[in-house]
Amino acid sequence: MKMIRAFIRPEKEQETVLALEGAGFPALTKFHVFGRGKDGGLKVGSVHYDELPKVLLMVVVEDEQAPRVVDVVKEKARTGEIGDGKIFVSAVEEAHTIRTGEKGL
Amino acid sequence: MKEIWAVIRRNKLPDTKKALEETGSFAMSIHSVEGRGRQGGVIFREIDPYVPEHYEGVVRVKPTPSRYALAHTLTKAVTYVPKRLLVLVVPDEAVRDVIDALVRVNRTGHPGDGKVFVMPVEDAVRIRTGERGTGAVQ
Repeated sequence: MKMIRAFIRPEKEQETVLALEGAGFPALTKFHVFGRGKDGGLKVGSVHYDELPKVLLMVVVEDEQAPRVVDVVKEKARTGEIGDGKIFVSAVEEAHTIRTGEKGL
Repeated sequence: MKEIWAVIRRNKLPDTKKALEETGSFAMSIHSVEGRGRQGGVIFREIDPYVPEHYEGVVRVKPTPSRYALAHTLTKAVTYVPKRLLVLVVPDEAVRDVIDALVRVNRTGHPGDGKVFVMPVEDAVRIRTGERGTGAVQ
């Protein structure tokens, strides 16, 4: 299994989540986070914004579905401007569904 | 070392903390998150009494100009269920006990009980002492 963590623009959240649902991935967890990227924040005139708000979407899927999730997020969350965010994919060794107590998603 | 992420019901947090303390895992981070599972954000009122009454009706479209342009293409608003996320980093030998405790306490048998994810952790550092490896999380 893979955990996909996508840091995206807050205004792109709705569109991305609906697209993920349409692609067959309804399950996700959302965090409101603050951070900065390579550029160290945002400079507008004399004001320097050190931490910018982002939405972190966390999706856990089977290995073979991970590229599909990444593609959907990449397509929907993209504006082409600096600050579109990053997607990280990491390994998940096991998952347990609490309701059934069984292993697996 | 393993990192355990557990997405659980909000009202199960005190019991979960108690159960984890019994297994010897005191250290954890608690996040307040929103999410949706396989049912796509359906709120079951009878088993989620802690969800505010108005929650379901909240349209989560932000009123920005770009949003207005998109509004006509949106078929429905995305709804989320409020949840708690526990993050624990535990030594390998404690993983079984922690998962068992999490599943035992949080299980109600209804959709929305949550998930537990286990991920490998390469290294850990205790900042106070500079200690590294498994010793840092014990």
